[in-house]
Amino acid sequence: MSKPIIVLEDVSKSYGAVPVLRGCSTAVSRGEVVVVCGPSGSGKSTLLQCINGLEPYQSGSILVEGVEVGAKKTDLPRLRTRIGMVFQHFELYPHMTALENVVLAQVHALRRSRKEAEARGRRLLDRVGLASKADTRPGKLSGGQQQRIAIARALALDPQAMLLDEPTSALDPEMITEVLDVLIELADEGMTMMVVTHEMGFARRVADRVIFMDQGEIIEDSPTKTFFSAPVSQRAKLFLSKILSH
Amino acid sequence: MWLPGQGRSRFGFTVNYQFDWEPILESRALILEGLATTILLSLCALALASIIGVIVGTLASSRHKGARLGAAAIVELTRNIPLLIHMYIWYVGLAFLRLPPFLCGVLGLSVYSGAYVAEIVRAGIASVPDGQNKAALATGLTRLQALLLVVYPQALRIVAPSLGNVFSQLIKDSSLASAIAVMELTYQASAIEGQTFRTFEIYITICALYLLLVSAVTLALRLLAGPRDDAPAQELASA
Amino acid sequence: MPDVISQNMPFLLQGLVTTLRIAALTAIGGTLLGLAVGVAVQLRLPFVAGLLRVYIEFVRGTPLLVMLFICYFALPALMGLHVTAEQATVLGFVLFIAAYIAEDVRSGLRSIGSGLVRAALATGLTRLQSLRLIIVPLALRRIIPALFNQYVRLLKFTSVASVIGVQEFTGSAMLVNARVFAPVSILIFVALTYLVLCLLLSSVGRVLHAYLAA
Repeated sequence: MSKPIIVLEDVSKSYGAVPVLRGCSTAVSRGEVVVVCGPSGSGKSTLLQCINGLEPYQSGSILVEGVEVGAKKTDLPRLRTRIGMVFQHFELYPHMTALENVVLAQVHALRRSRKEAEARGRRLLDRVGLASKADTRPGKLSGGQQQRIAIARALALDPQAMLLDEPTSALDPEMITEVLDVLIELADEGMTMMVVTHEMGFARRVADRVIFMDQGEIIEDSPTKTFFSAPVSQRAKLFLSKILSH
Repeated sequence: MWLPGQGRSRFGFTVNYQFDWEPILESRALILEGLATTILLSLCALALASIIGVIVGTLASSRHKGARLGAAAIVELTRNIPLLIHMYIWYVGLAFLRLPPFLCGVLGLSVYSGAYVAEIVRAGIASVPDGQNKAALATGLTRLQALLLVVYPQALRIVAPSLGNVFSQLIKDSSLASAIAVMELTYQASAIEGQTFRTFEIYITICALYLLLVSAVTLALRLLAGPRDDAPAQELASA
Repeated sequence: MPDVISQNMPFLLQGLVTTLRIAALTAIGGTLLGLAVGVAVQLRLPFVAGLLRVYIEFVRGTPLLVMLFICYFALPALMGLHVTAEQATVLGFVLFIAAYIAEDVRSGLRSIGSGLVRAALATGLTRLQSLRLIIVPLALRRIIPALFNQYVRLLKFTSVASVIGVQEFTGSAMLVNARVFAPVSILIFVALTYLVLCLLLSSVGRVLHAYLAA
């Protein structure tokens, strides 16, 4: 693996007296796919949101391409264009068409020309299989389609890495595959990704490493094979047995 | 507060208004008389508007299409005509009836506000689950009893805040009765202004009085509706 | 159409034009001011937000006619200015309706979830860009029904301007009545005209809302 894009060192965060992240350290290298799993409330989403500065953290350091996320002088908008983010509930702009959703940040954050942004937007919609929905509003689309557009919106910025926060957990079962297929393709092309998910089949298939979190701590950070065949911690074993039993 | 004083302001015009509250204090009898008329006017209109609103709003929730359409027509017809025109209709248009100005004011205000009350009553009835009505009928209550004893009380709790808004609006709207020579608060304020030229003082005074009245109504309705124990409404309020 | 109406049509139409001009001007001015105030209060801009809340509460507790008197008599007296009745009307209505629109804007802004804001920020937009490009346009679309309610109110309000002597539609009609005394036909004509205009305006709002629904 080449040099890491994302480096976390001893990151801690709390809401008042309630700790949500406790001394988290890890690194994600270029081209690596890391799956983050763990019981709900374990801090997975918070960890992801800290990486692009959507959530502040109180101590430790997070470097994205060598830039400290939490530093006051960091140009967060610029940093965020380098990192694509996909949310559990899609969060598409409901008053804009699919294409406008994909175009907006290209024009206003990256200062691309509208023409260029639209061409690129159409290519990406085509890539996620939704070229025909370019002029449709999100409200008229299924959850799976919306999430694929959200992925296209993130990819449109040519990000160096993608953060995906439970991208399939708000979807009906029959739509999960269409989204996972897009993600598998992305992984195969070498996109750097951090994915919070409970889809263990997906993790086995594409992840290089699995991070297991519980109560704000990174309990395990192992290569995928090791994690599934011989998890070190008791808590991870318990979690796996629960999640794989059905 | 504003300082009385003279001088050139930064904006280039001269500020030479001298504040003098003495004439306002001297006119307190007129102001109080106007306030009393405003209160009486509002109370009468409030009562009549509630009656109109409950009848029309209940018709609008009827199962009969004709009643629903009729109610909708009344609501649209009355609330899309300016209140001032409502007052003129009674005072000028129906002048041959020789109704006193006060009565014209009450009628104009209550017909106009009644349309708003009707909309709220309709929404309130719609918000009470149909099962409540059916359960009441199933226990042997008549339709009217079910309405009065089961549906209305529940609806009232839900619509109390909106009703409060309409009633406060009614009090403020009552100022338009001054245009048809009802000697209420705004009318008296204009009269006092004409005599004393204490323009700013008098209007600030009556603003405060209107605010007082509106707050009183809001508070009264909150007490009347009782503690709000329905969780969804609380969640909505805090959201 | 009764003769009193048709004979005085040009005069009445002139009044109607004034009414529509005042309504349009105050709708535009009130929306812009209300938007600015609503956003400032909702973002809790230091110092400004507190002052603006006082303004909103003051206006919402004040009758429109009193607001008009303040703008026509009190403010000019206080500042030593001269304003025409129509200028005072426009100022008064804008200040009045903006307080209500500001509250509508705030409820529109509150209806937008934090997830959407995060998504906008995550694509590299600045806070101001997210507000300008996504949050405010979305909030405005959601409050179109409320906005058009306020516009209908404004249209009806214009009649009140006749009380301070603006010769808008109601004022002109009452002048005609003073000359020819035909209150029934004149008032029916006036009432129906307002009715049609208000219904038209609300249906524009409904169509726009359906078209822009999100």
